[in-house]
Amino acid sequence: MADTPRPAPVPDAVTAPFWEGCAQGELRVQECRACRFRWLPGSVVCPHCWSDAVTWVASAGEGTVVTFAVYHRSYHPAFQPLVPYVVAVVELAEGPRLVSNVVGVAPERVRVGMPVRVEFQSAGDIALPVFRPVGEGD
Amino acid sequence: MPTSARIVGVGHTSLAPRLNRSAWALQAEAVRAAVADAGLRPQDVDGLITEPGYSQGVIEGITPHFLRLGAMLGLNPRYTSSEVLGGASCVAMVQRAAMAVAAGLCNVCVCVFGDAPSMARGTWSYGRGDGSAFGLFGAAGLHALAARRHMAVYGTRPEHLGEVAVTFRQHAGLTPHAQQRAPLPLGEYLESPYLVEPLRVLDCCLISDGAGAVVVTSAERARDLSRGGIRIAGFGQAHNLTGLAGADYLTTLPARESGPIAFGMAGITHDDVDIAQLYDCFTIVVLMQLEDYGFCAKGAAGAFVADGHLRLGGRLPTNTAGGLLSEGFGGGMFHVIEAVRQLRGECGARQVEEAEVALVSGHGLGMNTHATVILCRD
Repeated sequence: MADTPRPAPVPDAVTAPFWEGCAQGELRVQECRACRFRWLPGSVVCPHCWSDAVTWVASAGEGTVVTFAVYHRSYHPAFQPLVPYVVAVVELAEGPRLVSNVVGVAPERVRVGMPVRVEFQSAGDIALPVFRPVGEGD
Repeated sequence: MPTSARIVGVGHTSLAPRLNRSAWALQAEAVRAAVADAGLRPQDVDGLITEPGYSQGVIEGITPHFLRLGAMLGLNPRYTSSEVLGGASCVAMVQRAAMAVAAGLCNVCVCVFGDAPSMARGTWSYGRGDGSAFGLFGAAGLHALAARRHMAVYGTRPEHLGEVAVTFRQHAGLTPHAQQRAPLPLGEYLESPYLVEPLRVLDCCLISDGAGAVVVTSAERARDLSRGGIRIAGFGQAHNLTGLAGADYLTTLPARESGPIAFGMAGITHDDVDIAQLYDCFTIVVLMQLEDYGFCAKGAAGAFVADGHLRLGGRLPTNTAGGLLSEGFGGGMFHVIEAVRQLRGECGARQVEEAEVALVSGHGLGMNTHATVILCRD
């Protein structure tokens, strides 16, 4: 079942620092040194003020579930053993949002607004940031 | 600045899961039918705008779609392009044609969409960028995220999504060329399995082979034709290119900006709209558009549809031929065609009495693009 790897993100010059952070157990977001706006996914300029002074900073890894969907069908063999699985949009305490999975809890117990914390799941050569409900699971 | 351009011809193929014909052949048939419907000849066409069909991918390397289709149709037009706004393309093509005609770049402009997914390799349920590492596949996944948020914030219920599917199926039952015509009871909808919860298969558009086309010309030229045509009274676009980075994404569609631009150009408000043909790749998108166009308050679309307002005889008969959910996947061009036919009064059992103003919308890519057009009978 774990024979087929997940489709791996392909880091490029813009997104590589994000995935390097994940490999080191650190969830990173981009921050503008000029206006302090923070965002994901990575960009070449600040999407707020267009400054070039963009840098990566560590997130505390805590956030809430903005919304989620439960896949009852798999569209890729790697996900077949995981059905039904949860794809969620998580908003980090620092502001940026990202697509991820909610793990360690039955899909029917996931809620919009649920507090979650990041953890890293190894997938081949890459570490994926996924989220587990705070104070639940295991 | 209202335009004076008019739609003077519409044409389409049948819609079915498999027609055993290439997308090119379907597109050519739709073009021929639309030009004939306008009472024009191939030699009269001096503008060509195309949408290649989502399953056709990149057409033979870097050859743009309009180039090959134009060659097959023997056209050397004064204006041409292909539109790549996904589900917003067809409405955007009509807008582009109206602008080209108004600017005098061409005089008889054909807009055509056609696809033959049954002949294509690959799948529509492709991964969404890096999201595929987390299992985010297909447009259904994105729209399920939007539906869940709508339910959580506004109390929208499965019955509300179901009412959209049930209503459009009822309209398709009155549409001879519709792909799915058997009545859909709400109970059957509610008992059907989830695809990407909270969306069921019945919340998703059909997949169809088929093509549709319209002919746009100037008011002056339209006067010489047996059909006076339907006036393109106003239009607008708005797009959300930032996606997840914006707080409004998954909650509000760019229809909120596109609508007022179109209403303003047409000199009307949403209250003047008699019928709507709303892009309905998924049921939730219909609810969001009703709110973002102002037909009801934000969050109130569930109650609005539950009151039957989308049905024939309701306050805003919507997708009167069945839409993408039941008429078939016409890419949005069939929404334009149905609006024209309603305004011409040609719709038989599903005809809306005294329909004078129609709103047609397109919504595409990863919930990024939106286009609106207002059509008037005068």
